[in-house]
Amino acid sequence: MKYDVVIIGSGASGGAVAYTLCQAGYKVAVLEKGRLIKREEFSKDELAYCRRDLVTPDLFDEYHTIEEKVDGEWIATPTYESGWSFWNGNIVGGSSNLMSGMLHRLHPDDFRLKSKYGEIEGANVVDWPISYEELEPYYTLTEELVGISGKVDKHPFEPPRSTADFAQPPTKENAVVELFDKSCQALDITPLVTPRAVLSKDKPGRDACYYSNRCGSYGCSSGAKGSSREALLKPALATGNLTLQSNTYVKSLHTDKKDEVSHAIVVDTVTGKEKKIKGKIFVVAAQAHESARLLLNSANAHHPEGLGNSSGELGKNLIFSGGGSGQGELHKDALKHIKFEELMTTGLFVNRSILDWYFIDHWWDGRFKGGSVEFMFEHQNIISRARKNGYEDGKLVWGKDLGERLIPRFTEQKSIRFEVFNDWLPNDNCFVALDPTHKDRFGMPVGKLRIQGHPQDVKVGRYIAKKCEEVLREMGAKNIYSAISSTPPQNLVAGGCRFGNDPKTSVLNKYCRAHDVKNLFVADASFMPTGGSVAYTWTIYANAFRVADYIVESLKKLS
Amino acid sequence: MIKKRRQFLVWSSILGVSPYLSAKSMGTYEKAFKKIEPTIAAVQEHMFPKGSKLPSAKVMNVTQFLFETMMHKSFDKDIKAFVLEGAKELEKREKGRFASMTPQEKEIALRAYEETNYGRSWLSRIMTLTMEGMFSDPIYGSNINEVGWKAINAYGGSPRPKTRYIEL
Repeated sequence: MKYDVVIIGSGASGGAVAYTLCQAGYKVAVLEKGRLIKREEFSKDELAYCRRDLVTPDLFDEYHTIEEKVDGEWIATPTYESGWSFWNGNIVGGSSNLMSGMLHRLHPDDFRLKSKYGEIEGANVVDWPISYEELEPYYTLTEELVGISGKVDKHPFEPPRSTADFAQPPTKENAVVELFDKSCQALDITPLVTPRAVLSKDKPGRDACYYSNRCGSYGCSSGAKGSSREALLKPALATGNLTLQSNTYVKSLHTDKKDEVSHAIVVDTVTGKEKKIKGKIFVVAAQAHESARLLLNSANAHHPEGLGNSSGELGKNLIFSGGGSGQGELHKDALKHIKFEELMTTGLFVNRSILDWYFIDHWWDGRFKGGSVEFMFEHQNIISRARKNGYEDGKLVWGKDLGERLIPRFTEQKSIRFEVFNDWLPNDNCFVALDPTHKDRFGMPVGKLRIQGHPQDVKVGRYIAKKCEEVLREMGAKNIYSAISSTPPQNLVAGGCRFGNDPKTSVLNKYCRAHDVKNLFVADASFMPTGGSVAYTWTIYANAFRVADYIVESLKKLS
Repeated sequence: MIKKRRQFLVWSSILGVSPYLSAKSMGTYEKAFKKIEPTIAAVQEHMFPKGSKLPSAKVMNVTQFLFETMMHKSFDKDIKAFVLEGAKELEKREKGRFASMTPQEKEIALRAYEETNYGRSWLSRIMTLTMEGMFSDPIYGSNINEVGWKAINAYGGSPRPKTRYIEL
């Protein structure tokens, strides 16, 4: 059997491509390394989902090596040593199953950062080969198909949109938003409703959010969350055109002819049996560093440095998200504007973001690209909160003191948190390569990630975090702190196969097709030369729909 | 800089105890665990004593939970070995008397152990494993009748798990 299209990875981008191709009548295979967990099988089991590697690989089987500079030398540490997993949800639907779904579109200036702000020393900033206007219809399509709820507020940094408002109103909100909005207004800050990939109303085949109190890090049991599995793979399967192969690990892509992939070499992760999957077009959608790794692992006589790597750019300019987070405690005895019982109501969302500092142009601070901020409650996991609160002066609290400490912390206060997202500037010391010695359980070289950030990222993050601390202070929060660092958030990753018009300086063309290999596409976040200052997911969905439309056109021409 | 979770392994080898790393059969580990179980249970009971506002370790079956969760395939094999070795080290420091000490003596012994990097890391691990039992879904055999959740008025979301460790 030769498929029209073979897609490697079933997350946001793989799902979007599969959906589009299946709807257009093409035969598609989606190869997913992980297993299938169905809607009715998900639960809010903290131990299983958040404290063990059950939806990501065991780090002794599959891992990365992480390279950091120690005393002037680059030292690689395997993640089974550090426990720092760079996997983000290896199940059908990928990490879109587990996201919190707080999403934004990129701003038009994110597509032309270099033109707008000029060169930054030590950073490889380039303009995109496409504009916001080219992606806009696909942002809108994502809003409808994946199901993003929200409310349009006027704001100078809100990107333009082709529809008047969201089809779905925002999800229900905790009364804390009243306190938040008032505090922002007092500081002359504009609070915005966060678009969220969670349904507030039923949609065919999917029920509205039931406010379980555990959304991010967990699978959704009503289908409200706009995961690739719920929103795209299920309808794709319904067309009869999709062959979904879970527990299928792709080792490499094989090219018979110099400029064409003929088949994928895959392993059944349960039986260990190897086989070939043939197709006309191959779409890699394995998440940024894994897509680059697969192409590097597919090197052969025609492509000695890896597939699609004549530019030498494959794996380079990997980006994460700059910024960090902060939080403060809202105490029962010092709560303004709202009732404590309302604050303690569980399940409802905060749904607030601030875009006021997306671009900074200030007489004293200067003119530079800033970032966005999301506000939320501290994650409501119980074990992690109990554990975190069990220290005093660096020592473990135990015995009767532990109860005296934990109970008021759970019952007389609630922590409000912010997350800052700003550009992780692409630079020469952030990339993925193949580790020369380490191999995973399938015998394939693991990805070696060098993860250095640019000093500008931390500067911008701190600038924004200071402003957010003021918001929390205005809200009456206590024990406010923030942590901005150059440590990469492993769940916000892009780049490694940047797109561009020049085959000498980019891996993919503007349609995310490899410059060197005519039937090879990379549909995930790998294409992004710069990351913008919001979570990637909406852009990943949108761009994958755009790429899929191009593939449909290519297939039409083929036949 | 990357924290090496497994730095204790270096200490383990200094202590010269790591037969469990190579122990393939379940039986070997189980036997070794049974030997040191009274010490681990005593530490957990000291951390979660009777008469506290939180449920006691004894009533919550946390030692059984700790053993069972370590035996699941998702559990880190190095940490599994570390849990045993740290308990043996504690007994070595206390000349085999720890489990039978008075609460005051235990407090002194554990706080002294906490002064060492190795001891701090081990106690922290035991606290984590104990809280995992106490505050996870009752399906795992601890947090009986949700008493752990009730004590702090915090509840897990719905739906609740029907099987342990997403075994479908």
